[in-house]
Amino acid sequence: MIDLKDITKVYRTGSQSLEALRGVSLAIGRGEFVSIMGPSGSGKSTLMNIVGCLDTPTAGAYALDGQAVAGLTFDELAAVRNRKIGFVFQNFNLLPYATAWENVELPMLFDGKSARRRRERVTELLQAVGLFDWREHRPTELSGGQQQRIALARALANDPPILLADEPTGNLDSKSGEEIMAILIDLWRAGRTIVMVTHNDHIAARSERVIRLFDGQVVA
Amino acid sequence: MNLTLPRFFWNEYRKRRKRTSLITFALFWGTLSILLLMAFGQGMSTQARVSFSGFGETLIMVYGGQTSLPFEGLPKGRMIRLYPEDIDYLKERVPEILRIVPETYNQWPVSANGKEINRTVHGVTADFALLRTQVPQLGGRFIDADDDLQARKVAFIGWKVGNDLFGGKDPVGRTIVINRVPFTVVGVLQKKIQDSMYNGPDADQVYLPFRAFSQIDNQRFLDQIHMQPREASQSAFIEDRVKVLLGRKYRFDPQDRYATTFWNTIEDFKQGQAIFKGIEIFLALMGALTLLIGAVGVTNLMYAAAKERTKEIGVKLAIGARRRTIIGQFLLETLFVFTKGTFWGFVLSFNIVHLVRLAPINYDSFGIEGYLLRPVFSLRTFIVYMTVLGVLCFLSGIFPALRASRANPIESLRYE
Repeated sequence: MIDLKDITKVYRTGSQSLEALRGVSLAIGRGEFVSIMGPSGSGKSTLMNIVGCLDTPTAGAYALDGQAVAGLTFDELAAVRNRKIGFVFQNFNLLPYATAWENVELPMLFDGKSARRRRERVTELLQAVGLFDWREHRPTELSGGQQQRIALARALANDPPILLADEPTGNLDSKSGEEIMAILIDLWRAGRTIVMVTHNDHIAARSERVIRLFDGQVVA
Repeated sequence: MNLTLPRFFWNEYRKRRKRTSLITFALFWGTLSILLLMAFGQGMSTQARVSFSGFGETLIMVYGGQTSLPFEGLPKGRMIRLYPEDIDYLKERVPEILRIVPETYNQWPVSANGKEINRTVHGVTADFALLRTQVPQLGGRFIDADDDLQARKVAFIGWKVGNDLFGGKDPVGRTIVINRVPFTVVGVLQKKIQDSMYNGPDADQVYLPFRAFSQIDNQRFLDQIHMQPREASQSAFIEDRVKVLLGRKYRFDPQDRYATTFWNTIEDFKQGQAIFKGIEIFLALMGALTLLIGAVGVTNLMYAAAKERTKEIGVKLAIGARRRTIIGQFLLETLFVFTKGTFWGFVLSFNIVHLVRLAPINYDSFGIEGYLLRPVFSLRTFIVYMTVLGVLCFLSGIFPALRASRANPIESLRYE
């Protein structure tokens, strides 16, 4: 599903350059639940961004679902992100002016789905995360846990095969964090591929496999 | 056309509209100021034209005078008088003259209804109405050709004369006594603004058929002759030709500037128009500069709005927004802001212009309000303004939109 070969990412600032990833190779199969761990600056986020097609590697090859990502245009990458990947961020990243319903609906709008399909899917997802009654509320009117559940619903809007979660429980209390983990595990059990970045060993232990990064390299 | 995304963007815009209120207000204020500026400028120009036409637009007047140059053995200082027979003399010899009217006047007591006032009374023919914009009020008429031929004792009076003699009553059909001779009023002059005059405004004048006037006046010569050219462009030629012909008849040097005097309203009109055109251009320039400053302001605000939304753009890019979606949203929002700001600016300026136009003009005295109280809301100006502003707004929207669409999703997501 996710196939990274010898990925290098170098950030250049003026005359200085920083190697965030150094020859990372890894493969994540369909339906796997993988955690990525490592200290700050180890390259976890950079790796997630490359896997999520938010960034491109300086060198190396990345194939997502059998399709080489290198050489895709900005809009083609956007289409991949829209249909194949769902993002869950630590700080939720919901649109502040949009309601819970609109936030969940947005990826489908970008995909050009019909009004009826959108209505059915948003209803289904909001009911699944238990927030259908909160559909007209804006993010600022919701708790952190509720916001993350809305973000999860949004990530699933186009039914992507891969879910990328960057510290999904990092900003939540333990109860809300547990609720989110329970949903993630349910989704994995339903066949979805989940890649999660976390600092928390306890959370990482819930996944099938843990990939550890250090200084831009996979160490375990 | 799929309107789902535009509808979504419209909803987003509505929720965020307080954030764009400054831009909307800038556009509203700019539209209001510029449309009013142009409306008042054009109104002044139009009123100048109206006041010119109040006196007579294509009119050449010639007066007798005193020679200042010796001519063919005759000394200088001779009085040159114009006489009624000069009318036919000039008409026959200058085919470029369309209409020609004699005029003689005198100060006489005019009485009616137990009141007596002193007014200038003029003897003229029917065409005077066309040359000097003498439009009668409803129910009346000007002196006609038969009145003159039969020397009828009828009079056409200015509205102030009517008011002075009859108060609020309609003077038409009533008798006024001029220099002890009774005349029937056949018409009252409609109110008009008039920036040029001789012997005071037309509102204060009394007009009689030329032959009837001659019967009660012992002055044999004319005070002036009015001529209207067939083409306004012929006025200078007519002036020269009339000088030559009168010089030949009354034996004076056509180059003698004091033997006859000419008042050419066509040339005055051209000069006046040039001045007001200059004012219009000046106002348009001011408007254009204001527009430019406004556009810079709007661009700045749009740029700031785009900057403020960096994170939002990052989120949208992350969940699959294409470049054209981001550009489209920014342009649509620019359109919403543009439409809202200019619409209310248009509505308010349109209403102000039409409210100001309701204000009465004091026709009894020649005042600046005659120029200021008749602004003109021009559709052409509005269309030009909207086009220019539309282009400027589009440009001020497209650059932040392009910048936003080219943003790196990662950096945008990190932006705080």
